[in-house]
Amino acid sequence: MISKVKHIHSLTSIKRERVLPVAGHVLVRRMQKVSPTDVIVVAPLAPQFILMNISQGLNVNAARADELLQRQAGEDLVQGDVIAGPVGMFQRVVRAPQAGVVRIAGEGKVLYEITSPDFELQAGMEGTITNIIPERGAIIETKGALIQGVWGNGKITYGVVQPISNDMLQELVVEQLNIGFRGAIITAGFCRKPEVLEAAGIVPIKGLILGSMSSVLIPLAKKMDYPIMVIDGFRETPMNKAAEAILINNKDKNIALNAQELDTNQGNYPEGIISQSSTSEPELPSEAETLKVGKKVIIINGPQAPQIGEIDRIISGKQVLANGVETKLAEIKLANDKSTVLPMTNLEILKD
Amino acid sequence: MDKTTIASKSVIAVDIGSTITRSLFFDVVSGKYRFVAVGSAPTTAGVPHFDVTEGIWRSLEELQFITGRKLLSGKDGVIIPSTPDNQGVDIMVATMSVGKPISVVTVGLLDTVSLQNARHLAQTTYADIIAEISLNDRRTSSDRINLLTRKRPELIIITGGTNNGASESLLSILESIGLSSYMLDESQRPHILFTGNEQLQDEVKSGLAKISKLRVAANIQPVLGKENIHPAQKEINEVYKEIRKKQTGGLREVISWTEGTFTSTASAFGRVIRFLSEKYEPEKGVLGVDIGSDATIMAAAFNGEETLRVFPGLGVGSGSGGVIEKNSLDLIKRWMPIELSDQEIQDYIYNKSIYPRSLPLNTEHLEVELAVAKQAIRYAAEQTIPGLPKQLGAGGTLLPYMEPIIGSGRILTLAPKRYHPLSVLLDGLQPTGVTTLALDQNGLLPGLGAVAEANPLLTVQVIESSTFLNLGTIIAPLGIARPGTTILRIRVNREDGRSFTREIKYGSLTILPVDLGEKVSLHLRPLNRFDVGMGGPGKSGKVNAVGGVFGIVIDARGRPLQFSLDQEKNRKRNEVWRKTFNKYE
Repeated sequence: MISKVKHIHSLTSIKRERVLPVAGHVLVRRMQKVSPTDVIVVAPLAPQFILMNISQGLNVNAARADELLQRQAGEDLVQGDVIAGPVGMFQRVVRAPQAGVVRIAGEGKVLYEITSPDFELQAGMEGTITNIIPERGAIIETKGALIQGVWGNGKITYGVVQPISNDMLQELVVEQLNIGFRGAIITAGFCRKPEVLEAAGIVPIKGLILGSMSSVLIPLAKKMDYPIMVIDGFRETPMNKAAEAILINNKDKNIALNAQELDTNQGNYPEGIISQSSTSEPELPSEAETLKVGKKVIIINGPQAPQIGEIDRIISGKQVLANGVETKLAEIKLANDKSTVLPMTNLEILKD
Repeated sequence: MDKTTIASKSVIAVDIGSTITRSLFFDVVSGKYRFVAVGSAPTTAGVPHFDVTEGIWRSLEELQFITGRKLLSGKDGVIIPSTPDNQGVDIMVATMSVGKPISVVTVGLLDTVSLQNARHLAQTTYADIIAEISLNDRRTSSDRINLLTRKRPELIIITGGTNNGASESLLSILESIGLSSYMLDESQRPHILFTGNEQLQDEVKSGLAKISKLRVAANIQPVLGKENIHPAQKEINEVYKEIRKKQTGGLREVISWTEGTFTSTASAFGRVIRFLSEKYEPEKGVLGVDIGSDATIMAAAFNGEETLRVFPGLGVGSGSGGVIEKNSLDLIKRWMPIELSDQEIQDYIYNKSIYPRSLPLNTEHLEVELAVAKQAIRYAAEQTIPGLPKQLGAGGTLLPYMEPIIGSGRILTLAPKRYHPLSVLLDGLQPTGVTTLALDQNGLLPGLGAVAEANPLLTVQVIESSTFLNLGTIIAPLGIARPGTTILRIRVNREDGRSFTREIKYGSLTILPVDLGEKVSLHLRPLNRFDVGMGGPGKSGKVNAVGGVFGIVIDARGRPLQFSLDQEKNRKRNEVWRKTFNKYE
C-alpha cells in the first residue's frame, strides 16, 4: 500500500512556488537570494471599477457622447481630468473622480479603473529564486528543516522559534505566555482553552505552532491575527517526537511559518521552514512511498496518534478490528519498544 | 462506430471518488450482461501524484488480479478494444467527483424566482455558490463589476425573465457581466451559462460569446411557476467536464480512453435513478442517496422526471467537518447510542476530515461515523424535499412516497453490521408509507448511469440481475398518538398459507421475520387515523411485499422523528433501536 509521506525533516531541499492568481509585475530575478519579507510580485488583486454613464452625465445620446469623449482606453488620468465634454450652454463635462485609467470607452459609457494599491506577494521564506513564472511569481528553493502541519488558520509570518518549554508534552496555558515571548513564534504541545489563544494575541506573539489543538478552538483560531499551525491533529496530545526535536534544536532560529489552509487537491499544507546553510545537497523529499517492513511511520488517527514507530510486520490479507471493520493491518514497534497493531490507512511514512 | 448499437461487449466503468477510485467490470455471462468484479485504489488526483491515471491504473491492476484478465499493457495503457484472446475491454466509461467544488455566481432578476432556479441548477453539480446577483440586491453596475472581478468565479449562471418577459433589467446585469469578464485575464474568464429569457439569446451571444466561454440553454423558467431545469443541467455538466479537464492531471488521457464517455458522478447517479423510475411503480418516485467522503448526492425521479441535488463538503470523510458546520454537534450527537464527550466526538470528526482514509479503531468512533452519515443524509433530505412533487405522499419536510429507496456509499456498503446501512438510511431519510430500502452493495449506480448512454442494455440487464441488496420492506405509518397507543394491525400472509398478525404501538420499531426474498401479502389496518399510504388517513389495504435482509420493518417511531433536548434520553432511545436491529443480525 502506498502512503503519503509526512514531511518532517531536519534537513531537506525545499522548493516552493509563490504566485499570484492574476497577472502582475515580477520584481525578482533568477538566482537572486531572497529573505521572507522580500516582495516577489505585485498586482492589483482587488481592482476597483466605476462604470460611468457619460451620455447621462452630458445629457446627450450615446452616439453624441462618444463623439464628446476626450479619452481613449488605456489613458492614465488624475483626479479632475476631463473624460468627456464640454457640451451645452453650461459647458457640461464628465471628470475623473479619482486618479485611474480608462479601461473601456464607447456606447456612451466609460469603464474607469481607480488606481488602487498593488498587493505585494512576499517570498515568505529565505532562499534562492530558481525560476521566474512570467507575470505571476517565482519558484524559490532552499535547504533546511521542514515541518508540515494538517491545519492552519490561513495566515503567514516569519520570526524566531521559541519553544514554550524544553519539551512539547504539555498543554499551553495562559501563565506561560509572558512578555518574553513577545514577537516570537512559540511552539507547544497542545492547546484546549480559548483564553490561551486570546492571551497569546495580547502578548502579542508572532505565531503559534501546536502539536494538537481541541477542535472547539477552530472558529476562534481562524479569527486570531497571528498564524496558527497544528502539526498532528485535533486532540489533547503532545507533539510528535520528530517535530518536537526539530523545533527544540532550532530554538532562536528564524522560521517561515505559512499557516495556509489544508488543500490536498492542490497539495497545499500548512508548514514551517527553517532555512539552514549546509554544504550537503539533500534531495527533494519523496511525496509517497510504499508501506513496508522497516519503514518509519507516524500514527495519524486514533488514540495512539501521533506516536512514531517502525513497521515490524504487515499482516497478510484483511483482518477484522474489534468494531467489526475489515482492513489491512500492520504491526508497529513504537519508540517505547511496545508493539501495536493498526490499520495501514492510519499510518503515514515519516522520513526525518 | 455508433456506440449505441454495440452489444455483447465488455465494459469497465471507472469512478474517481474523492478518496477511492473504483473500476467496475461488466461482461456478458450466459447471454446477459452481469457485473463481474471491482478493483479499487486510493484516488491520486491530489498530493502526491496530481494525476488520476495513477489511481485508475492501480484499481485496474487489482481488477486484473481478481478477474485473471489482462487489462493493462505496459506501453499502451488500458487495452481497448479487447483482443480475440480475451485481453482488455471493449468500452470504458468514467465518472468523477474528486476536486474542489466549482465556484459559481448565480444571476437572476428576483431572489425568490429566477435566483431560486439558478440555485437549483448549481446544486445539480459539485458547485459552491460564492455570490448572487439580482435586481433586489441594490448593487450598482460598478458594484457588480467589482464583485465579479474580485471573486473571479469559474461559472456564472444567468437566469431570469420568462420567454417574452422582462428583458431590459436583465440586459443591464448582462452588461456588468460582460465588462467584468473582459477585464479579467483571458485564462481566468468564467464560463457563462445563460438560461433566461430566450428572446435575449441573440443579444447574449453577440455580447458575451467573444469575451467568455458562453453556453446557452433553453429558459429554465419559460413561464412563471414552471421550472425546466434539464436542458441547462446538461450544459452545466459539460461545463463541469471542461473545468475538471483543465484542473485535473491525467483526465485528458482518461477521456481519450473513454472516447468522451465521461461525466460527473452526480450526473451519472441522477441518470440511473431516472432510468429506474421508468422501470418501477410509476405512481411513486425512486430515490437514490449516495454518501461519499466529501459529498452527498440526492437523486429522486418520478416517471422519468429527475430532481438532483449535490451537497459538496457534506460527507463522511473529508466532508465530515462540513456536517458539523452545516448542522451542529447536537444534531449529530442525537443519533448516538453510546456515551462519548462532545470534545471527543468533535475532535474525531475533524480528524476524519483531515485524514479521510483513516479508519475507526473502536465501536465508539464507528458510531460517530454512522451518526455523521445519518445527519449528512438528514440535512440533504431536508434541503431536497421541498423541490420534490408534493402531490404524492407526506409533504412538508417528509419524503413523498418512494419505491424503492437505494443507498450507496462505502460507509453503507463496508459497515461491519448488516443493520448499519438500514439504520443510517431509515433514520436519515425517514421514509413514509410502504417502501423498500435497498443497498447498492457493489457501488454500481454511477457506473451504470455512465454506461446507460453508451449501452442501455447493460444497465437494464445488470439492474435486473438482483444487483441491489434488499435491506427490508419498510412500513412507516404517519400520524400522531401517545407512545404505546396501538396504531396499526398488520397481518402477514405467506405464500404457503401460513399467516401471523401483529399489533404495532406508536413509538416502536418492529421487525417482522420474513426471509430474504420471501414474497408475502400484507394486510394493513391503521388505527387512530394513521396513514400507511393506502389512500388516506385510516384507510386499510393490501400490499405485496418481499422480505429483505431485515424482513419487514415497521417504523412507528413517528415522522419526523422527535428528539429530546436531553441527550441522555436520545442516547437511550438509540440504544433501544440498536438492540432491536442487533437481535435480528
